[in-house]
Amino acid sequence: MHRRIVLVALLAAVLLVPLGASAQKPIKVGMPMPLSGPAALFGEPASKGAQMFIDELNARGGVLGRKLELIVRDSKADANEAVRQARELILKDNVDFLVGTLTSAEGPAVSVVAKENKIVFIAPIPKTDQLTAPDKLHPYVFRVASTTTIEGRSAAEIVAKWPVTKVATISFDYAYGQDVTKAFVDHLKKIKPSVEIVDQQWPKLGEQDYNPFINAQMAKKPEAVMSSIWGGFFVTFSKQARALGYFDAIKYNFIGLGEAGSPETTKSMRDDYPVGIWGNSYDAFYWGESAAHRDYTTRLSKYLRDEYPSSWAVQGYIGMQVLTEAIKKANSTDSDKVAKALLGLTVETPVGPLTIREKDHQANRGQLYGKTVMDPKYPFAIMKPVTYVDPTKFMD
Amino acid sequence: MLRVLNFAHGTFYMLGAYTTYQFVQWVGGGPGLFWLAALGGALAVAALGGLVERLLFRHLYGKEELYQLLFTYALVLILSDAAKMLWGTQQKSVSRPPELSGAFTLFGATIPSYNLLIILLGPAIALGFWLTLQRTRVGRFIRAAALDRETLGALGVDVDALYTWIFMLASFLGGLGGALISPMRAITPGMDTEIIVEAFVVVVIGGLGSFWGTFFGALIYGQVLSFGILFFPRFSIFAVFALMAAVLMVRPWGLLGRPLQ
Repeated sequence: MHRRIVLVALLAAVLLVPLGASAQKPIKVGMPMPLSGPAALFGEPASKGAQMFIDELNARGGVLGRKLELIVRDSKADANEAVRQARELILKDNVDFLVGTLTSAEGPAVSVVAKENKIVFIAPIPKTDQLTAPDKLHPYVFRVASTTTIEGRSAAEIVAKWPVTKVATISFDYAYGQDVTKAFVDHLKKIKPSVEIVDQQWPKLGEQDYNPFINAQMAKKPEAVMSSIWGGFFVTFSKQARALGYFDAIKYNFIGLGEAGSPETTKSMRDDYPVGIWGNSYDAFYWGESAAHRDYTTRLSKYLRDEYPSSWAVQGYIGMQVLTEAIKKANSTDSDKVAKALLGLTVETPVGPLTIREKDHQANRGQLYGKTVMDPKYPFAIMKPVTYVDPTKFMD
Repeated sequence: MLRVLNFAHGTFYMLGAYTTYQFVQWVGGGPGLFWLAALGGALAVAALGGLVERLLFRHLYGKEELYQLLFTYALVLILSDAAKMLWGTQQKSVSRPPELSGAFTLFGATIPSYNLLIILLGPAIALGFWLTLQRTRVGRFIRAAALDRETLGALGVDVDALYTWIFMLASFLGGLGGALISPMRAITPGMDTEIIVEAFVVVVIGGLGSFWGTFFGALIYGQVLSFGILFFPRFSIFAVFALMAAVLMVRPWGLLGRPLQ
């Protein structure tokens, strides 16, 4: 009798263990993100932001009683590599969702993989309009990044208020540069018809010597310039431009898109930064608009062990946050159900409420804009006053 | 010249910029100190080049050039990852030396003083290097080593040490390039591969192994690119590669190079 009970108990235990384990199995999220090369500058902090969200969530018990697990793979900022990594994450690692990619080449490429495999894919950084354009849109692709339309039009709204009519542009000659410049020029002409575009320069992506472009542009005597030269390239560009007296010539009527106003950029340039220009950024630790943002910054600062934490982490954080909320709402990890739950979903993020539009699966993610000034509190320039430009009113 | 193909030269250039940044962090950016940092950066890269030659590259002489290519490519990957571990992925920046932070005007165009110095330094280094090769004893040894390594050794010259010194000198020049460019651009991972592509175009146009060919190749590259930007802004890159293709079709050995026997 005793032996029988023991046997049954053992059997039950054996049967229960795998069942228990499967209930505990984490929800896997695959993240193809550039971790090497120049784009790692943004990819690395974005992946850390995602990891911080997951660590905090798991400490609170996860979602639907399950923990989240993030698998980050280096996409090398290359569309083919991103596709390869996304496929491997789905086939070998059996990830349930994809959150990731950085460049405007990677995003649309991985979107195709998501469509084939019917897996929800949330893009936290790529801005190209093509990602969610009507002919490319499918039920599984979503974006919490800004778009070239939003960014170009936000800048046009600001430049339209300046007392200038002769405007020039300088952007890299590829999808992002062309799209954002077009959005800027079209919107500016619409809201201020007296504006004349006197010059447009198109250096190749990753240009190192901007002197010929700067000289050619100065010869056209613009009164204001819009640039979308991003990241480390902006450092190179503005150092060379400053030496040529470019910013003085246009009286600092310059707006640097592509996050030229981010704390990372001003911090790395310190006194060499062309203080007085306008810039934008996804986030800024000194923004402190809401209690939620201040709290997020404090946590991030501690997590990254950085007094002035990265402005890119927030994109990875928001990507994971939106996904988690959708899983919660769908009460399932089935991609079809989560995709439906994402439509019209509003999430309280550190930068305020973001809503995924049903029409094009796009969040109303604006950016911070401001004129850069030196602030005695910091050894580098900050945007002050810094304003979040809500894009809802000029999204198509 | 020694028929040594070093893909990692771009990486030495990048390391020169990073080490200069590091020295600037240590000594500060006061007057004159930038030059000290730049020299220190280039010397550090030269030392690294010496180590690489002594411990690793040495074993590849006399083997197929493909091995050298593969080895130096591996070096590119290893060193750029090492740089990323040391300095992270965030971009770094070095200020122009205060004594050359101004600019002056020439025919209505503004030229920063620092750029002028770079413009003058290029030909000066080239000329100095050429004179060393042509007029000095060491230069004769180097030219002899390029022609016939064994005979030179048989004549009592320490060829091994000679190769190490040459490799160190080449690394020094690569590092110096990176050190001097650092006030004009951002120091980022990936600046190694950017420069090596340009250098490759320059060398192909000028002629592999040709000293003045490389010099004029660089001048032609710069002029075609600049005038391309002025007249056909969207085709400037195309113009440079079209030039390279044309040169390859008419003189596959480059403008001043010599055809392989």
